[in-house]
Amino acid sequence: MFLTLIRRELLDNLMTFRFAAAVVIMLLLVVANTVVLIKDYEQRLADYNTAVKTHRQELQQESNTYSYAMLGPWGMHVDRPPNPLSIFNTGLDKRLGNEIRVSHTFTPTIWDADKSEAENPLFNILTSIDIVLIFQGILSLLALIFAYDAIAGEYEHGTLRLVLSHPVGRGYILFAKYIGAMVCLFVPLLVSLLLMLILLTTSAMISLNTDDFLRIGGIVLMSLVYLSLFYLIGMLISAITRRTSTALILSMFVWGFLVLVYPNLILTAVDTAPRTDTESAAYHQVKQIWEELERECGQFLRNDPVLSSAEGLGDYIYGAISDEPSRLVFHHLRRASSDLETIDAKFEPYVPHVQNYFRFFGPLTVNTAERTWLIRKPAFETIYIQPANRGRMLLKFSPAGLYDAATEAWAGTDLNGIQDFFTATQNYRQAIINYFHDEKIFASRQWFSSDQSAVDWDTLPQFSFQRSDIGINAKRAVPDLFLLLTMNVLLFIAIFLVFVKSEV
Amino acid sequence: MWHITKREIYNNLNSLRFALTTVLLLALMVTNAVRHIREHPKRVQKYHDAVTASMNLLTSRADDSLYTLAHEGPGTLYKKPSPLHFCAAGGEAFLPDRVDSPSGSRGFWRLEYPDVNINMKNVGPDVSQVDWTFIIGYILSLIALLFTFDAISGEREHGTLRLTLANAIPRHTVLIGKFLGALVSITIPFMLAMLVNLLMISSANEIHLSTEAWGRLGIILFIALLYTCLFLALGLLVSARVQRSAVSLVILLLTWVTFVAFMPSTLAALASGFSSSMSRHEYSDRYGQSYHKLRRTWRYAWYQSNDEKMLRIRGEWHTKIAVRGERLAGEYLTFKITQVQRARSITSISPAALLQHLFEAFAGTGLDRYQQFTENAQRYAREYREFIVDMERGDPESRHIMGVREGMSQKPVNPEAVPRFEDTRNIGKDFNTAATKLLLLTLFVIVLLAGAYLAFVRVEI
Repeated sequence: MFLTLIRRELLDNLMTFRFAAAVVIMLLLVVANTVVLIKDYEQRLADYNTAVKTHRQELQQESNTYSYAMLGPWGMHVDRPPNPLSIFNTGLDKRLGNEIRVSHTFTPTIWDADKSEAENPLFNILTSIDIVLIFQGILSLLALIFAYDAIAGEYEHGTLRLVLSHPVGRGYILFAKYIGAMVCLFVPLLVSLLLMLILLTTSAMISLNTDDFLRIGGIVLMSLVYLSLFYLIGMLISAITRRTSTALILSMFVWGFLVLVYPNLILTAVDTAPRTDTESAAYHQVKQIWEELERECGQFLRNDPVLSSAEGLGDYIYGAISDEPSRLVFHHLRRASSDLETIDAKFEPYVPHVQNYFRFFGPLTVNTAERTWLIRKPAFETIYIQPANRGRMLLKFSPAGLYDAATEAWAGTDLNGIQDFFTATQNYRQAIINYFHDEKIFASRQWFSSDQSAVDWDTLPQFSFQRSDIGINAKRAVPDLFLLLTMNVLLFIAIFLVFVKSEV
Repeated sequence: MWHITKREIYNNLNSLRFALTTVLLLALMVTNAVRHIREHPKRVQKYHDAVTASMNLLTSRADDSLYTLAHEGPGTLYKKPSPLHFCAAGGEAFLPDRVDSPSGSRGFWRLEYPDVNINMKNVGPDVSQVDWTFIIGYILSLIALLFTFDAISGEREHGTLRLTLANAIPRHTVLIGKFLGALVSITIPFMLAMLVNLLMISSANEIHLSTEAWGRLGIILFIALLYTCLFLALGLLVSARVQRSAVSLVILLLTWVTFVAFMPSTLAALASGFSSSMSRHEYSDRYGQSYHKLRRTWRYAWYQSNDEKMLRIRGEWHTKIAVRGERLAGEYLTFKITQVQRARSITSISPAALLQHLFEAFAGTGLDRYQQFTENAQRYAREYREFIVDMERGDPESRHIMGVREGMSQKPVNPEAVPRFEDTRNIGKDFNTAATKLLLLTLFVIVLLAGAYLAFVRVEI
């Protein structure tokens, strides 16, 4: 009996006009946007590859004459590769900086990154779209269109009475309806996804590994749960109102509110912009710490009997602090002077003293950077992360927000995913510093002059970045998935209660 | 006909959808007003502070000498924030609000157009603001469809249509009556919400709406009504063609999703994805090439000699490089703007995008406004240079060699006499840019209304 019910539901749904129309529209939108998104990704990947190449060339040609100390202001270029799964959910992948300089003088973060932008920046005013956004809008609408007459329609036609006259439990009927509709709704999702995958595999530049397919699987799972949630919402409305026309109107308003109105309304009502007004306090603290470093260096130089009396040495050792207030970053610049590359014979006796000075100064810079990091980190937290998280939190009151957050987590384009990259750059910085300590580079002559032998930058540790493990993606998506599932179960129970108590 | 209209209105007023619409629109409009009251004074304050800083810079430069004025320029020029920002936010966050002069240039002052990347540091969720464009473009259009999807098919299902037509009423009267009824019953909650919104905004102390702004609001309101008519007509058309109201709603919703929700961004993405772009690197390469070419010709300009001939050569060089640099920057800007404009004009197939462009044009936000601002700045730059040349001619002690300190007037200039930048807007000009799109919107409405009429006349009951 149960199977008969399911079959009836399937046939009922599959043969309708709404089903055909929905599939066609969904396929059109998904295919058109996938083509564009793939092209966009390829463009970004090409940009990334050129950036990596030019940075390598720069390092090999132009920086040949640099001493190690130039790493302070220049840094090692590190580029962030685009995430292929950003085709599904762009998230923050495209928006945030993708080019960062790593040096021992500051801890690299998202907010220190630059953007190598080949695209016309004015294009940002046009709203962008990704696959999850299409699913978010259309799947939910489809689910409601399928659900509004699931129970109310049967009431009106009187077929419900007929079905109930058979010895079937009411729960079974509900469950059969649910299964039947979900199978139907799964079809357009599956077909559009298959088309997408075909398009993805035809692109030569996109290579997806097993983990990526699993991540896509995670996104599909989220889509299913999201779909089911909206179907259940529709069914609940249908069970309560008992009239198809009322159910339809109410469903549409609920859809409009949850998908369209609520996310925009809440972000407009609650201010989630970065709180840049708190920036200046942290800035002054960081500045003070660097000024302390400046004083200590002055002290050291004055105490050194040789360096304090040597004239004309300033070009080698003194520097100026340059700052970037927006990033809370300071660089200790060596004075750019043409005789950096050579050392006059008359200064040769001072070299051991200068080395001694840098043996003191190098680790001190690293230390100072660590101390400023203790201030910068909470500052970034309050300025950027907290408002952002508050906004995200508020968005999660709508299933659409939950779905978006969870798919972002699967794709790795959420804040955590991007942070992974910057954590890798921080580790890279640590590796460089360790290398400096191990090889005693701070105290070497090469630190401040490249006159005897140029720095071989290739011997420095190389940067490598792997996107986070699939397990970590799953762990980040699970809370939202769990919330969506709970909502599903609660709604089903509610529908069951309403349906069981209703008179036919 | 009035009877039909009246009946429709009564029917609608008592319905669930009317109540929900009122609540929804009120909530949206109130949020919009609150946001505007909170943000707008900050915007205006920021603009005034920036302009005052620029003015002070200009005054100090004028007090210094005419050469300083010519060399350093009038300071940064800022775009004036629109008081109608709540009507259309227009992606202002992604548009530059200033034109600058390049830092550290040695010769003449010239205009440069910086890019902004405000969003690069914001790790928060994508924010699309609740402005009138959103409320009317998305929500009101959806509501218009919900009000009309069963206007004809519903009556046919209940059999009341036959009853109505049995009386001696021509069909077009019935159709017009239904159309007017739906229009009135949707206008009531909309007007209510809008009036609350305007009341809140105009009674806020810090915000002052000028007569011109009210005029612009009137035009925006007219466009909003036209846009609503479009969707009412669409609803009637589909409702007349289709037998069952459920099917009618499904068709309407899918049309809405395609044309309103996804068409604008899909088309824009398609257009931007398939147009070649000149990158910033290419632009700076071009600038570098032209710089080096000029430098080869004017290589004597670098001799540190102060005799008349050398000064002339150096002055010529500085003038040349400023002109060339500004022209190149202007070309790059025009290129960027036209590229986006092209993508935007393709999206005009979607009525929602059309509405957005029209709102932006009349609210004075968005890309058109930015273009207007840069044109204003360019006009001002010409005026400013003419002023410098005039003042230079007026100084008998100067050697009249433009572009070098030694050759130009060293006298201070009266700061009052220096022309000031005014970022003006002209409603007539806005109208001209929007005319085509306004006509297109009207055309859509007429076509759909005619379609609804034909469909209803031919319908069998």
